[in-house]
Amino acid sequence: MAISKKAYNALESIVGAKYITDDPAVCEGYRSGPGGYESGLGYERVMTKIPACVVLPRTTEEVQRIVKVCNRYSVPYVPYSTGFYGPRSHCHVENELLVDLKRLNDFEIDEKHMYAVVGSGVIYSPLQEEAMKRGMYVIIGGGGAQASVIANLIGDGWSPLSHRIGLPHRRILGTELVLPDGELVKMGSLAVGEDPFWGDGPGPDLRGLLRGFTGLRGCLGIVTKMAVKLLPFQPEKPMPTGIAPNTALALPEHRMKWINYQVPNKAAQVKAMFEISKAEIAGAVTKVPLFWRAIAKAECKEEFWDLWGKENEETIKNFHIVRVLLIGFTSEEQMKYDENVLNDIMAELGSQPRATKPSDESWIKNADSAGMWLMCGSYVSVDYIIETLSHAVQHGEAYADLKKKYTPPLMPDYGDPGWFQSFELGHQGYSEFLVYWDQDEDTTGVDHFYVETSKMNIRNRFYTSLLGPHQPLYLTGPKYGPNYHQWLLKVKDEFDPLWVCHPPTPLAHDVFVEKAEWMKSIKDWEVPKKFPMPKWE
Amino acid sequence: MPTTQFSLDIKKLDNFAYDMSRCIKCKGCYWVEHTYMPGVRFSTRCPSNTWNDFDAYGAFGKMRIGLAMIEGKLKWSPKLLEIIYADPLCGACDVGCKRNLDLEIGLSLEAMRVKAVQEGAGPMPAHKKVAENIAKTHNQFGAPHENRKKWLTADIKIAEKADVLYFVGCSASYVAPEIARSAAKVLNAANISFMLMPDEWCCGNTLFSVGMLDEARELAKRNIEAVKATGAKTVMLTCAEGYRMWKVDYPKLLNISTAELGFNVVHFVEAADEALKKGTLRLSKPQNVRLAYHDSCGISRLADPWTPYSGERGWMGTVNPRLKRRRGTSGLYAQPRNLIAAIPGASFVEMPRTRENSFCCGAGRGTKEAFPDLASFSAKHRLEEVREVGAETLVSACPWCKNNFSQAVRQNGDNIKVVDIAELISASL
Repeated sequence: MAISKKAYNALESIVGAKYITDDPAVCEGYRSGPGGYESGLGYERVMTKIPACVVLPRTTEEVQRIVKVCNRYSVPYVPYSTGFYGPRSHCHVENELLVDLKRLNDFEIDEKHMYAVVGSGVIYSPLQEEAMKRGMYVIIGGGGAQASVIANLIGDGWSPLSHRIGLPHRRILGTELVLPDGELVKMGSLAVGEDPFWGDGPGPDLRGLLRGFTGLRGCLGIVTKMAVKLLPFQPEKPMPTGIAPNTALALPEHRMKWINYQVPNKAAQVKAMFEISKAEIAGAVTKVPLFWRAIAKAECKEEFWDLWGKENEETIKNFHIVRVLLIGFTSEEQMKYDENVLNDIMAELGSQPRATKPSDESWIKNADSAGMWLMCGSYVSVDYIIETLSHAVQHGEAYADLKKKYTPPLMPDYGDPGWFQSFELGHQGYSEFLVYWDQDEDTTGVDHFYVETSKMNIRNRFYTSLLGPHQPLYLTGPKYGPNYHQWLLKVKDEFDPLWVCHPPTPLAHDVFVEKAEWMKSIKDWEVPKKFPMPKWE
Repeated sequence: MPTTQFSLDIKKLDNFAYDMSRCIKCKGCYWVEHTYMPGVRFSTRCPSNTWNDFDAYGAFGKMRIGLAMIEGKLKWSPKLLEIIYADPLCGACDVGCKRNLDLEIGLSLEAMRVKAVQEGAGPMPAHKKVAENIAKTHNQFGAPHENRKKWLTADIKIAEKADVLYFVGCSASYVAPEIARSAAKVLNAANISFMLMPDEWCCGNTLFSVGMLDEARELAKRNIEAVKATGAKTVMLTCAEGYRMWKVDYPKLLNISTAELGFNVVHFVEAADEALKKGTLRLSKPQNVRLAYHDSCGISRLADPWTPYSGERGWMGTVNPRLKRRRGTSGLYAQPRNLIAAIPGASFVEMPRTRENSFCCGAGRGTKEAFPDLASFSAKHRLEEVREVGAETLVSACPWCKNNFSQAVRQNGDNIKVVDIAELISASL
């Protein structure tokens, strides 16, 4: 494993000797797995490589120069902010350069105009803290408080608090994007000045190119700087309490409150979300997988299984929760009003409030995604859709049915239909399906399940968000477009003619299916004899 | 589902293969816990990875490297040794991981060093020098053994026989005698009768920490026998590193539990806090100063007692019998703060990173000897927090912290005063 000496020297001249290495031990530290998001699976084993070289730029200009060197010497590279997003954010081919962006950690906040400018290395919890010190907030996406703000916003970027705020596209303001050939694109108001306050600018809006629905996983350049919209919050700061592992944010009781309602049935659950949305109240309205309650209660993995092992299909089928976060954004009276309206709605639906802790462990500052690995050791959110609430419910149930066929190796969850909730005050419904397994088991079933979910979505006409880089492009592309795949590949060719930027994405899952013998049995879609891209190995 | 036998024995790195293989790069080991995240500044708690930005220097990188070591994929090299040893093993990564995942990060890191020694690659030359010093002079500095009690002054009362034995340790005996003197005076003032070990030797902290288990075990046996011979019921320390060594790592070396030591291990802050609560320690002299307190790792997140464990891992990674994970919850967080609060006139201010989220001074566990740059960087980084909160005095509870901070203050040209908590309390008697 190596990149050419000439290329190495050129890169070293950009960042200095301290911030580049090809030492095998240091590069080993950038291995994707075997643990982590979507790790311990065939994709991780077959598709990821240890980088041949790692470079740590400090500025956008350095990133540009690095990318130009990569184009000059045909060095494939992958942008990497925190490495949390599993194998898809790691090197995929031999002799690849990993561009670790953690030193791009500049941060500015414009309190008056309510936005923050972050570099690729800035994660969510510091941003949230800085925002809250000033009476504002952001949504920390389900990816977690440890996720890079930029990486999360060009990929996912939602949480239960999206009930109020909605899709992340709208929070992306002025942005700097280094294209795969090193050219710098300034988006939004940055295109015409130094102030990134506005996301829309002259010319085409490239935010769609950046992220589409759930991003392109670093195959169309490197976002080095982004202005992120901050939103007004209530003025009393939630205070951290406790010693790890039992820490939480104590909520100011007259300004913030989580309430869990037990509702009589699924229809009431959905109706509650619609009615709360219609009334335009609450900061979050959600139904999360029921085993999350057991995670929250358990002191350890073994205790989780004690608790969860007591459940069965009947108990899960008949247990319906709606979890609501009230926030007195403008006043205590407003929160009181919201609570009264909420109680009326829930009473009409025959729902009962359950005892709820006056604190937040999961969504406001912490966004505790790391806890997802406690139960089994391996985890991925296999799909998410953003459509309608009614659609979200069907989606989850279809997933639960399909999952039965692959349990084990997937974790027994007794038919829980996953996570669904309101987005944008009920104008959209969100559904996410999460799966868990033990990576020491035979994971062929998990690899199959992952691709079979695409087929299910196509059959049932579910509008999945995980297109392109997450699934075989030649399976999903012809069905979502009908020429989605051709269009995406043309975009890739146009912006990255050498395919140096994170090859073979967006065809990575296609390549995986071709390489992994155990995937052949489920491959029933057409692919070209030769994938239309340069061969890297 | 087949099960796998394992134990928490650091002599075999394989025991931690499961833990290393389940690291998810959430970097809970690196960032301050998000609930307590103080903002954009002071957002990390890992000295190694703050000092060197490459992932290999964070626990998440080291877990991957540890697996590669098990699989024989990496050859020993100076860089690999630097990755393994440029690390104060401060436990921030361990409690960070156990916030969510319960992986044995701290033990994995210790086991990597043991493997380095087993295979003749480790420890670092500076550590070998410490080992030589200890073998020759029973202290890690190579100072004459006969000077060990030189810190004692005529006004300090030492009992011939007492329930409490004050184990002074190498640092307070030779390098920071003011800590030993202050602690003794506070004990005298609080009417806590104490004795010293007739012939005190090094506790072996550095030897253990760099993976020289055989040498450390011999010292552990010797010291435990010496305590038992005195009939002491409690061993008290002013050194956080020594406290951790006696309470956690002696039992670990001897495959017994902390409770099986046969005596209690306490830190000075516990004894003083108890005396304060009983009313036998009275602090009356005002100190009009703005103070910040640094939680020394050995008495905070590394302080949970040790219990040996062996069992089997089965379905979904569950273990049998049940394992009580050490998550740092036994840390002595309240006691030093109680003591500081009792000083008349003193104004106490918390730094942005406190308790289990503290940023280590960077001196301990073989770091300052082999990687003085890292130790200096870490202390200077922490001093930025002291300046941020406008404290005039930084208080710690370990001579290693005090010495390292004091050096950094001198190098910086700061006007921050660094004191040990024993000195602070003594000054208010």
